[in-house]
Amino acid sequence: MNGGSMVVWLATLWLYAGGAVAAVFLLFGIDRVDGNARGAYLFRPLLAPGVLLLWPLVLWRWWTLEAVSGTSDDAAYDRGRYQAVRAGHARVWSVLAVLVPAVLIGALLMRQPVPDSKGAAVRLDAPAPKQ
Amino acid sequence: MSGQNQTPFFIGYLPIPHGLRLFLVVVSGLLIGGFAALALAIGTAQGNPGTGDFQWGWGPQEVTGRLEIRPYPLLHVTTGSKHIPAGRTLLLSGVGKKGVRPRVAKLDGRLVRLKGFALKRGEIDALQVGDNNKAIVALDGKAPAVKVEPLGRWRLKGEICDGKCLAGAMRPGRGLSHRACANLCLIGGVPPVFVSSAPVDGNDFFVMGDSKGNPLPPEILHHVSVYVSLEGTVERRGNIMVFKVDLSSLKVL
Repeated sequence: MNGGSMVVWLATLWLYAGGAVAAVFLLFGIDRVDGNARGAYLFRPLLAPGVLLLWPLVLWRWWTLEAVSGTSDDAAYDRGRYQAVRAGHARVWSVLAVLVPAVLIGALLMRQPVPDSKGAAVRLDAPAPKQ
Repeated sequence: MSGQNQTPFFIGYLPIPHGLRLFLVVVSGLLIGGFAALALAIGTAQGNPGTGDFQWGWGPQEVTGRLEIRPYPLLHVTTGSKHIPAGRTLLLSGVGKKGVRPRVAKLDGRLVRLKGFALKRGEIDALQVGDNNKAIVALDGKAPAVKVEPLGRWRLKGEICDGKCLAGAMRPGRGLSHRACANLCLIGGVPPVFVSSAPVDGNDFFVMGDSKGNPLPPEILHHVSVYVSLEGTVERRGNIMVFKVDLSSLKVL
């Protein structure tokens, strides 16, 4: 399997996993963690494309929200529902601030160089003489 | 409320909290300046796309000539139009990412009249043949033979692209999106071309074929839009160059 096929295979695997997470979360999970979603169904297919791509984040949020659902401790609820996300902002921002320019600059630097015109056209044999 | 959090908090419809003003100015300046610099850097890193374009201003072109389908459909113009004089050789494609081979397969060597829109990049002329039935008409009469001038065996370095985008349907680019675009065209039957980094007899653009002058096999799609070295024979047909390549000589540079 070459590099390109591996990328396609990994992307396919990622999307299959995302599809499974989307099906379970949008059919059952969203009712458990978001009271406003209960009884509302038409908007759920709209979330499916996003879940396909971001399913690890969805799983993590589902996990943290399940952990605080039903608690009567407001502070614990706030920590689980809101602060868990906000606490990660600075770290994610810092990583992306480095990663995005690095990918862009790296991609430009790793581009295949244009062949030098010198020696780019070499005649190996003259045309065969006419019979 | 005592003990409330005093951290400044930005709300769009309220005045900016004092503690956030400097932060906002610095971040705004960095973002505006940063993106302007990024746009400049990306723009200057791109190659000159050249002057290739659809010649919509010419209107539909109607030209007559001798049709050849090997390695890919070409029209050697005998009766041209105001903008395409007799003696020119046109690289033929269909509308969109399609070739015309299935529509002209039985017209090899015949005199035909074609109608479509022209594409032009420098000395490269191409015709996007219309989709309707009247766009390709076989004519009675003898199609004059085309002069073929062998130019020998060459090793060329350059890029395999599709002839329609290169001629002006798109801006030739680099990278994955360029490759995907070119491959879609080639899968659709648009003729592949080789863009050499150095000219042969004044030309750096070659219609490609295999060593026997037949269309290239699908394996070529793996090597599109990367710089490669290829060996093969070059010949001039009409005013277009044909590069009949030995695929076993292909090396990625």
